[in-house]
Amino acid sequence: MLPIASPAQEGGGHNDASSTPSTAADARAAQQPTYLFFNSEEATFIEAAIARLIPKDDRWGGALEAGVANYIDKQLAGAWGTGERLYRSGPWQPGTPSQGYQLSFTPAELYRTALAAINKALAQTPFAQMSADRQDKYLASLEQGGTDLGGVPSDVFFSHVWQSTLEGFFSDPVYGGNHNMISWRMIGFPGAYASYYELVDKHGIKIDRPPMSLAEDANGHLLMDPGIPASSP
Amino acid sequence: MVQRLKPVDVVTIGVGLTGSLAALELAKVGLKVVGLERGAPRYTVPDFQSPAIHDELRFSIRKGMMQDNTKVAVTFRNSSDQTALPIRRWESFLPGQGLGGSFVHWNGQSFRFQVADFIYKTHIEQRYGKKFLEACGAELTIQDWGVSYEELEPHFDRFEYLCGVSGKAGNIKGQIQPGGNPFEAPRSREYPNPPMKETYFGAIFRKGAENLGYHPYPQPSSNLSRPYTNPEGLKLQQCVFCGFCERYACEHFAKASPQTVILPALLNRSNYELRTNCEVLRINLDSTRTKATGVTYVDGSGAEYEQPAELVLITAFPLNNVRTLLLSGIGEPYDPKTGKGAVGRNYTYQTTGGATVFLDESTNVNPFMSSGAPGTMIDDFGGDNFDHSNLGFIGGQYVGAIMTGGRPIEFHPTPPGTPKWGLEWKRAVAQHYNHTILVQQHGTSTASRLNYLDLDPTYKDAWGQPLLRMTFDFPENDIRMSQYIADRVVEIGRAMGGKIVVRGGQRRPYTTTVYQSTHNCGGAIMGADPKTSVVNRYLQCWDVPNVFSLGASAFPQNGSYNYSVTIGALTYWALDAIKNKYVRAPGPLVHA
Amino acid sequence: MNPARLSSIFAASIGAVVLSMAWTASAQIQTAEHAPDRAHGAVIAAQGTAAGAPACAQCHAFNGVADGSGASPRIAGQSAHYLAMQLQHFASGIRDNPLMSPVAKALAPNDIADVSAYYAAINAPFLPLPTPNPTLIIQGEKLAKVGNEARQIPACNNCHGPGGAGEPPAIPYLAGQYASYIALELQMWRRGFRKSSPEEMAPLSHRLTEEDIAAVAAYYQQVQGFVDSDASHRTPHVSDPR
Repeated sequence: MLPIASPAQEGGGHNDASSTPSTAADARAAQQPTYLFFNSEEATFIEAAIARLIPKDDRWGGALEAGVANYIDKQLAGAWGTGERLYRSGPWQPGTPSQGYQLSFTPAELYRTALAAINKALAQTPFAQMSADRQDKYLASLEQGGTDLGGVPSDVFFSHVWQSTLEGFFSDPVYGGNHNMISWRMIGFPGAYASYYELVDKHGIKIDRPPMSLAEDANGHLLMDPGIPASSP
Repeated sequence: MVQRLKPVDVVTIGVGLTGSLAALELAKVGLKVVGLERGAPRYTVPDFQSPAIHDELRFSIRKGMMQDNTKVAVTFRNSSDQTALPIRRWESFLPGQGLGGSFVHWNGQSFRFQVADFIYKTHIEQRYGKKFLEACGAELTIQDWGVSYEELEPHFDRFEYLCGVSGKAGNIKGQIQPGGNPFEAPRSREYPNPPMKETYFGAIFRKGAENLGYHPYPQPSSNLSRPYTNPEGLKLQQCVFCGFCERYACEHFAKASPQTVILPALLNRSNYELRTNCEVLRINLDSTRTKATGVTYVDGSGAEYEQPAELVLITAFPLNNVRTLLLSGIGEPYDPKTGKGAVGRNYTYQTTGGATVFLDESTNVNPFMSSGAPGTMIDDFGGDNFDHSNLGFIGGQYVGAIMTGGRPIEFHPTPPGTPKWGLEWKRAVAQHYNHTILVQQHGTSTASRLNYLDLDPTYKDAWGQPLLRMTFDFPENDIRMSQYIADRVVEIGRAMGGKIVVRGGQRRPYTTTVYQSTHNCGGAIMGADPKTSVVNRYLQCWDVPNVFSLGASAFPQNGSYNYSVTIGALTYWALDAIKNKYVRAPGPLVHA
Repeated sequence: MNPARLSSIFAASIGAVVLSMAWTASAQIQTAEHAPDRAHGAVIAAQGTAAGAPACAQCHAFNGVADGSGASPRIAGQSAHYLAMQLQHFASGIRDNPLMSPVAKALAPNDIADVSAYYAAINAPFLPLPTPNPTLIIQGEKLAKVGNEARQIPACNNCHGPGGAGEPPAIPYLAGQYASYIALELQMWRRGFRKSSPEEMAPLSHRLTEEDIAAVAAYYQQVQGFVDSDASHRTPHVSDPR
């Protein structure tokens, strides 16, 4: 008998998890990031590609609106791009699928190499200028493999872009994607702040508080912590 | 220039579950113990704190708590006719790094292995005959452990009370207990704490399983159901079901880990010294090669030290235990062609799989309200709990609804037929996220003469030493077993009300590219015969009696269950022998 | 360990099933047949009920900020779920309180839902309060943010959210709550009068010293500034006035 569920007609404001409050400025900020890694050609391709991988619909923005291009850019410019947690000693030999990734490219090298090859091959009709249908067919051809992109097999490149897109869409907004926690609102994931002892045995309840990011508190404010005082034993 | 340090009584290589437990036991009897940990020191306060610890990208995807594989990786191949290549990113299994080891990021799923597991070969041959076992696969090399469940029971009990395991007994001294697991091995008393609250996915599974006549029970959990003070005087809190347990550390003092149940009682002892960021290169042997003189290690600054010790305990992750033996030249490396040598032999893993059950959209599963061991499960198909006479395989799997958090980068199920990306994919994710239950299969991995560990001839670690090479694929026996159970799981999924039930089960070849389990076993197995085992029933090396190798590297093959509690019991068992027998009269505890 | 990527393993290589349903808003489990009526809640807050419940405003004020003394807590903007749960606990005796128990017993279940929804929706200012001892605040801040390893006390914020902003629906905010109220409630847990959250808060209350209690209470009282509850407005916001 607990009023956990806020009726839909009371939507808006901070009690409605499914609302997607966004201003024009928010949308611009998500769509026009300051790129640290991508050059303009690369960014144009990535923005157009992720918009097809996770498109917007009448209810929810897609990967582009969620700032996934910004997320991928920051990852490539940072530790992950340069091979964080990637064993990088040779010799480099082709392996079986069960042996996993065996190329010498770091993620940053892999993106740069493959994107250069793609943009060169598509010089006449850049990807971003294709119809949505043709874009989908082109992405599917990359996914299928068989094309060499300057040493990067196209299916390997596709799987990197898809994995990065998933990460940027669903990860915490502190990493520059999942703008406004759009994916979390879409699926009903309440986010990083989580303590459900009181609720776990209330089977089937609908949680519709807005999600909470690592950087946000219950009132939607960015958490500006001046520094956590630490003490070790 | 190697600096020789002052001798100590005991050195442990690694300070995780076995390293901290062993050090506490031996420090209590007055021995001077040094713990060498390759990772960094870390404590609940200030290192495991909300909200930073609830970061799926950093910890689940980027493997923030795992062994630094840019320094030390593992090479892999499915069979010995292939060339092993480095596992360049951790995916299939995730060895932990840092003080506390993998026992920090574990889920807390807390089972005892069963009576038959410890006498596996004897049991199977007695029940089904030698020919049956041969027919399951001529390559299978299962064997007995050399220790019985009855001998380990007091140590299981002690370890469960150390961790504060929350569960419901199913068998106390042979009396079946309502609400518990009727298939469990007899225990001397009830769990220290009652079971966790039942999740919704657990309740739905329970009803479905009950309707089919199975025996559901709450998964025993080392995430606690209530506040608890353990026998070391350490206080734990109640788990709050935050949904960030597997691959994360607990900020609530609610999950048993070295940090919560062991280390505070150890670190304040004057005869214990913890040294972190110290990479052990090898165990040093004297000229007879039957006595260890200590270890050589490198600290964070790159300086090299020799630490003399009377007793050396290898207490690393199972794979690293085996590698340490190989790098130190202890024991004879296994040769799959001749079958000779025991180090590296009987490497096993864990069969997994399971069904995806898509429910009606009115059912809010809320998978994020969860803990690391939140399941309701059945053991009707575990181990040898069912008659295999006409099935043509040995082994089994437990089955349960065990969803550990619904974190969305990893969990976004879509039904069969959904495109892998695009608008339809996105709509399917939104539609099914909160209305889908994963039913897990988790079970035995049968030892085979084809699967083993040795040193890689090509690839090196950051100190120029060979990486460990893993040669592994699931025996056909294990595939038949898992696929048989997969059919039963589909039936359960339908009984749960699944509109769509997607069949799972283990497949070949084993791949390192998808997470399955961190229950790597064997390679330095225990047994009664030095020809087929590396350590005796007390986990003492046959060849070098002042070296003990503790942990799951000693398992001759893997059982159905998550293995941490069995590791804990085995460690207490070995420590009992070290304290009461070895320390009084150093030398072999078993004469071959 | 649980395979975390089960979905991707399981979804592979399966026959076609046509998706017939487009995405729709998830159906809600109707745990409450009654849709909370804030307007009726406001009437209860101002006038009480015919069944004998006094007006909440007498102690908590019509805007839920009470009088600042801490004799009554601030309840403005507290989650409706939490407020309703507390009223139920006062009625059942789980929270044993001579003032609130009779009030809660006089409220019908729908009244509880309505008045909780009313106060939950209020975005009220913070009253000016005297500045407490800065040393005490720093001590409280440590416990609130990182806890204490030696005494195995988790950080308050691990459950109560950053700056004590709460983790609704189940966990209340502490930010801006009156120090004497926080201290009183911790004492109630210690002495067994407050039996809600018996396994989290009760044992913690015993591990806190008198000084700890005073410190966390002093700290949270001065963490104010969560005034603006418009989730769409995202300006960096310093929550601590020091």
